[in-house]
Amino acid sequence: MTRHRTDVLVVGSGAGGATTACVLAEAGLEVLVVEEGPYVAQGDVVPFSLEQMQRQYRSGGVTAAIGFPSIAYTEGRCAGGGTEVNSGLYRRPPEETLDRWRREHAIDDFDTGELYDICDEVEKELSVQLVPGAATPASEVLRRGAAGLGWRHDEIPRWMEYPDGGAAEQGRRRSMTETYLPRAAAAGARLLTDTRVERLARGGRRARRAEITTADGQRGSIDFDHVVVCAGAIQTPALLQRSGLRGRIGTSLAVHPTVKLAARFDQRVNIPDDVPVQQVKEFAPDLSFGGSASRPGLVALALSDDWRRFGSAVTDWEQMAVYYAAITSQGRGRVVALPRLRDPLVTYRLTTRDRALLGRGLARLALVMLEAGATDVYPCYRGAPVVRQRADLATLQATFATSKASVMTVHLCSTVPFGGRDSRSAADSVGVVRGTDNVRVNDASLLPDAPGVNPQATVMAIAIRNARRFAAERRHG
Amino acid sequence: MDDRVDPTRIAEPDATVVTGAAGWFGRAFLDRLTDPAGDDRRRGPLRALVHRDDEALAIDGLDGVEPVVGDVARPRSLTPLFDGLGGAVDVIHAAGVIHPARTDEFVETNDRGTANVLAAARAAGVRRLVHVSSNSPFGTNTHPTDRFRNDEPYHPYLGYGRSKLRAELHVAAAVDEGMNAVIVRPPWFYGPFQPARQTTFFTMVRTGRFPIIGDGRQRRSMVYVDNLVDGVIAAELTPTPPGRAWWIADARPYPITEIVETVGAALAAEGFDVRPNRLRLPAVAGRLAERVDALVQRTGRYVAPLHVVGELGSTIACDISVATAELGYRPRVELAEGMGRSIRWCREQGLEL
Repeated sequence: MTRHRTDVLVVGSGAGGATTACVLAEAGLEVLVVEEGPYVAQGDVVPFSLEQMQRQYRSGGVTAAIGFPSIAYTEGRCAGGGTEVNSGLYRRPPEETLDRWRREHAIDDFDTGELYDICDEVEKELSVQLVPGAATPASEVLRRGAAGLGWRHDEIPRWMEYPDGGAAEQGRRRSMTETYLPRAAAAGARLLTDTRVERLARGGRRARRAEITTADGQRGSIDFDHVVVCAGAIQTPALLQRSGLRGRIGTSLAVHPTVKLAARFDQRVNIPDDVPVQQVKEFAPDLSFGGSASRPGLVALALSDDWRRFGSAVTDWEQMAVYYAAITSQGRGRVVALPRLRDPLVTYRLTTRDRALLGRGLARLALVMLEAGATDVYPCYRGAPVVRQRADLATLQATFATSKASVMTVHLCSTVPFGGRDSRSAADSVGVVRGTDNVRVNDASLLPDAPGVNPQATVMAIAIRNARRFAAERRHG
Repeated sequence: MDDRVDPTRIAEPDATVVTGAAGWFGRAFLDRLTDPAGDDRRRGPLRALVHRDDEALAIDGLDGVEPVVGDVARPRSLTPLFDGLGGAVDVIHAAGVIHPARTDEFVETNDRGTANVLAAARAAGVRRLVHVSSNSPFGTNTHPTDRFRNDEPYHPYLGYGRSKLRAELHVAAAVDEGMNAVIVRPPWFYGPFQPARQTTFFTMVRTGRFPIIGDGRQRRSMVYVDNLVDGVIAAELTPTPPGRAWWIADARPYPITEIVETVGAALAAEGFDVRPNRLRLPAVAGRLAERVDALVQRTGRYVAPLHVVGELGSTIACDISVATAELGYRPRVELAEGMGRSIRWCREQGLEL
C-alpha cells in the first residue's frame, strides 16, 4: 500500500492534464500527475502501427458504444494521451462556436480574445505549422479532388517539427511528452504513470483522497487538497460517477461520427507512417472530409465490412488510402459507470438527420475520390457497391444504411459541460464540478458540444484558461 | 458592385430544334425566341416537336415556328425534325413527363426518349444539344441549410428521378462518343404557360389549404420559367466543354412558409380573397407519403398528390454559383414578382383560381 500526498492531483496527462499540470506547477503549486497508461517517448513506436495501438490506446485501439448503430471509438491511454497518437491536426475553435457556447451555456468571463491569445502561446510551444515540403500523395488526392469540384479545402496545421523544407512524413510530433509535460516536470510536477485512479473519497462537498491501483495490481492512495480530473470525455465522467457524483455528469456525450471508404488509384498513394493534412471544408461544419491512417492493416480493416468481395484489393494497399467523412451530430450519448466493471457503458444515438448526412457525406467523399482519379472506391459498409463512376453513387446512396456501416468516432466531448445554466451545466464556468468545492474537470468533457473541428486546440486553450483562473484564486485565497 | 465579366457567346444557330415544345418550358422558350421585340429572337427556322395536332395548331401561328407532330419514344417520328436543315443546328431537348398516368411513361419518354433524341441529333450532326434535366436525379437535401453543389452524387427520387438520371447518363455517354451536349437542371418551375396542376396550387393557397409539412422551414429552390429560358439560352450559346451541367434556378431557395405567404400576398394584390393558411401536417406525413408513393410506383401506378406531398416535407435546394460563373446566368425575376406575373397570366387565359 503506497501513500502519496500532494497539494493538487491531476488525473490524466493528455491535452487537458498536461497543460493544467504545467500552468499550476509554474504558478508554484505542488502538482502530482497520475496517468493510467505507460510512458512511451516519441519515436519509440512506429506511428499508427499495431504496436502503438496496443501500447498507447485503451483496449488495444477500439471500444464500442452501444446504440443504434453501435459506434466504435478510440482513446489514447499513455503519458500525453491522444496527442501522442493522433494525427496532430490543430484547428482553433471557430469564433461562432465560442460565441454560441458563451450565449447558450452562460459561460462567465469567456473571452474569445483571451482564448485566442492562449492559442498563440500553444501554437508557439507546439510548433504548430503547415508542412514546409511536399504533402503526402494521399493528402494530394483530397486537394486535387476538391479543387476539381470547386469545393473549399485547406491544409490543417499540425503540432510537428520538420527539417528544413521537410516533407510531411519527416515531421516529429510536438506532443505533450515533448512540450507541456517536461515543462511541468521542470517546474517541480511529479508524473506517476501506469497508475489508475479508481475513485475519489469525499466528505460532503470536498474530495480528500484518491484510491489508486498500479498496472501490476498494487493498491494505494493519494491525499490532496484539490483534484483536477482530465481523463478524457469517457473516463472523466466515469471516475466522477464512481466517486458518487451524478447529476448531469455523463448525460450529454457529443461526438463527430465518421464513416469511411478506401480508394484505389493507378499509382502509389500510401505513405504508411503519415496521414493526410488536407481537409475538405465545403460543407463545414455539418460535414468534413479528411484522410485516415492507412497502414496495410488499416486498409484491410477498411475493406473488412465486405471482405468476401473487397478483400482481394488489399494486395494493392500501396495504391490505396483510407478517407473519412465526419459530421456534426445532433445526437447525444451517455456514459454510465457500472459497479465492478472497469470500463463504463457508453451509448450513443444518431438522429434521422445524422444518418442521412452520413450517407450523403460518404457519397460526396466518393465523388471527391472519383474526381481525383480513383479507379475503385470501396465504401465501408456491408453490401456496398464498388464505385467506379458517377452512376455508381446512386447505388451507394440507395444501399447505404448506418446499421450496415462501421461508424467510428475519435472526437469525444461534452460529458461534463461547463457554464452557468442550471438545466445543462455539470461544472461551473471554470470547471468546478457542481456540488463540490475542490473537484475540477479540465479536459474535452467540458466542451458544451462537439466543435465541428479537431477539438484538441480548444481543449488546450480552455484548460490553460481554467488552470490560470485556479492558480490566481490559490494565490489570492 | 458586380464586376464579373460575362463569358462571350457564340452566334445563334442557323436552325433550332425544340422537343417538348408544347410543354410549360417549351412554350415559354418559343415565346421568347419568336418575340419580335426581344434580343433572343431567332432568325432561322424553329422546328418544334409536339405530341398532338391540337398542340401543333396552338403554336403554328408563332413566327418562324414549324411544328412537327411526333413522339420522342418513337425514333422514326423524329426524322422530320431535322429534314432539310443546313448549317449549324442546336437542339433543346425539353420533352419529358413528370406526372404521368403510369410509371412506364417515365422510362419510355424520359429515359429511352432522350436516347432517341440524342441518336437523331448525332445523326443530323448538330452543333450543340442542351438537355433539360431536373433536381430529381439528386433526391432531397439532408437538412434545410444544405445546398446541392453543382456536382453532387446521384440519389434519384423514385421513378421520375430514376428516369431523369438515366437520361443524364445517356447524355454523358453521347459526350464520351464525341457529341457536344450539356445539361441544365431546373428545380420546381413557376410562371406563364403553367399547366392545370399549378392552377390547383394557387387555389390551395387562396383557400388556405396548402399543406405545410413540419415546421415549414424546409427550403425549395424554384425557377421562374423566364429565368430558365435565360439559363437554357446561356447554356446553348456559351462555349463550354461538352458534358457540363448546371443548376438553373432563382437566386436563392425559399422556405416553404415564405412561398405560401408570398403567393398569398400576390393573390391578394390581384384582388383575390385569400384565407389564412391553416393546413399543417406533421413531418411524419411527408415521410409517410413518400413511402406510400414508392409502394404505389412499384405497382406501375402514379398518384400526383401523393408524390407532391411526399416531396414537400423535404428541402430541395441548389447553389447556382457555377452557372453564374461559367454561363453568366443571373436570375432576373424572383418569387413575388414572378408569382404576380403568373397569376395575371392565368387571369388573361380565363383560368379559374
